[in-house]
Amino acid sequence: MLMPKKVKYRKQQRGRRKGLAWRGSTLAFGDFGLKAMRVSYVTDRQIEAARIAMTRFIKRGGKIWIRIFPDKPITKKPQETRMGKGKGAPEGWVCIVRPGKILFEMEGVDQATAAEAMRLAAQKLPIPCKLVSREMTA
Amino acid sequence: MRKDITVAAAPRETRGKNAANRTRMAGQIPAVLYGAGGNSVAVSVSPKDLNKILHLSSGHNTIFDLDVTSVEKSPVMIIDWLYHPVTSRLLHVDLKRIDLTKKLRVMVPVHTTGEPHGVKIQGGAFEVINREIEIEVLPDDIPEAFTVDVAGMHVNQALRAGEVPLTGSMKLLSPADMVLAHVVSLKAETTEAAAADGAKAEPEVVKKGKKEDDKAAAPAADKGKKK
Repeated sequence: MLMPKKVKYRKQQRGRRKGLAWRGSTLAFGDFGLKAMRVSYVTDRQIEAARIAMTRFIKRGGKIWIRIFPDKPITKKPQETRMGKGKGAPEGWVCIVRPGKILFEMEGVDQATAAEAMRLAAQKLPIPCKLVSREMTA
Repeated sequence: MRKDITVAAAPRETRGKNAANRTRMAGQIPAVLYGAGGNSVAVSVSPKDLNKILHLSSGHNTIFDLDVTSVEKSPVMIIDWLYHPVTSRLLHVDLKRIDLTKKLRVMVPVHTTGEPHGVKIQGGAFEVINREIEIEVLPDDIPEAFTVDVAGMHVNQALRAGEVPLTGSMKLLSPADMVLAHVVSLKAETTEAAAADGAKAEPEVVKKGKKEDDKAAAPAADKGKKK
C-alpha cells in the first residue's frame, strides 16, 4: 500500500477540497490516462485495487504510472466511543483528488486494451472517471 | 510550418477574469499577441479556429496569419495554450508574431516506426521517455515531426536526440545524449510483495529538534527560580 515513509505530524485536519485540478490534468508519461471527473478522497487501498485490476488485465507488455499519492492521514474513533477525549487514531491514508486530475497513465498497449483496463480500474474508485488519450488532447 | 490559414481576431479593451469569462460566454476566447519587437495586444479569437490549428499534423508549430481588425495582420504561432481540466475546452492562448527571416526555437515531436528487435525477438518492452526535441530552425523549415526507424533496436539500446536526422537550417538544442526511447527487459510483477507490505505500521514521525533543547533549558530555569 502507498503511504509516506516519514511524516512531520501523525494527524491532519480535514481542510477544504474545492476547486479543480489545474495541475496534473494532462498526460505526462503514457498514451492513455484515467481522468477524475469529481472531487473525492481516494484511499491507498482503492489505488492499490485499481493498480492490480489494470496490471492483471494488461498482463505483460504495458507500463502503468500512478499519478496520485495518498499522503493525508485519516483518523477514526473506535466503535461505541463517546464523543470527546481527543482525535481518533490514524486509520489510513488518502489522496485528495479534484476534478480533472489524471489518476493513472498507461503505455505500450492498444486503445481497446487500455480502455478496458481503465474501466476496470475506475470501478475500484469512488468517483466517475473518463479515459483520455494523447490523440484526444493533442 | 507555414500554412495558408487566416484567423480573425478583435482587439480586447477589457481586462480581468470577469471580462474574460464574458468573452468566453460570447463564443470567443481571450488571447494575447506579442513578439517580434511589437507591442503586446490583447485580442479575442474563435476557439474553433485555434482548435483546428492545434489538431493539425503540424500542431502548435503551425505558422498562420492573424488578422486583428483595424490593427495589424501578421504571421503568428501558438506559443502557449490552456485547456479546462474537466471539459477540455480551450480557455486562453498566447500568440507570438513570427519574423520569417529569423531562426526560431521550437519543440518538434519525434515519432518511431517499426517494432524493435528487442521487443519482437528478445521479449523486451519499448518505452518512450521523451516525445519532443528542441531545435533551432528557420520558420519555413519547421518539420511536422521527425520519424525514426527503431526496428534495429536491441534490449538495453536507446534512441538519443543526437541520432535524429536533421536537415537544412536545423540545429539541435536539446542535449544530444537525451534518451528519447529505449528497449528494456521486462521484470516480474511484484504484486504479492506489494500486497504483503500492506499491513505496514505507521510511518516514522519526524522528531522536532526543539524538544531536547527544551528539556535541557527547563531544569536550568527551575534552578534559577529556586534560588
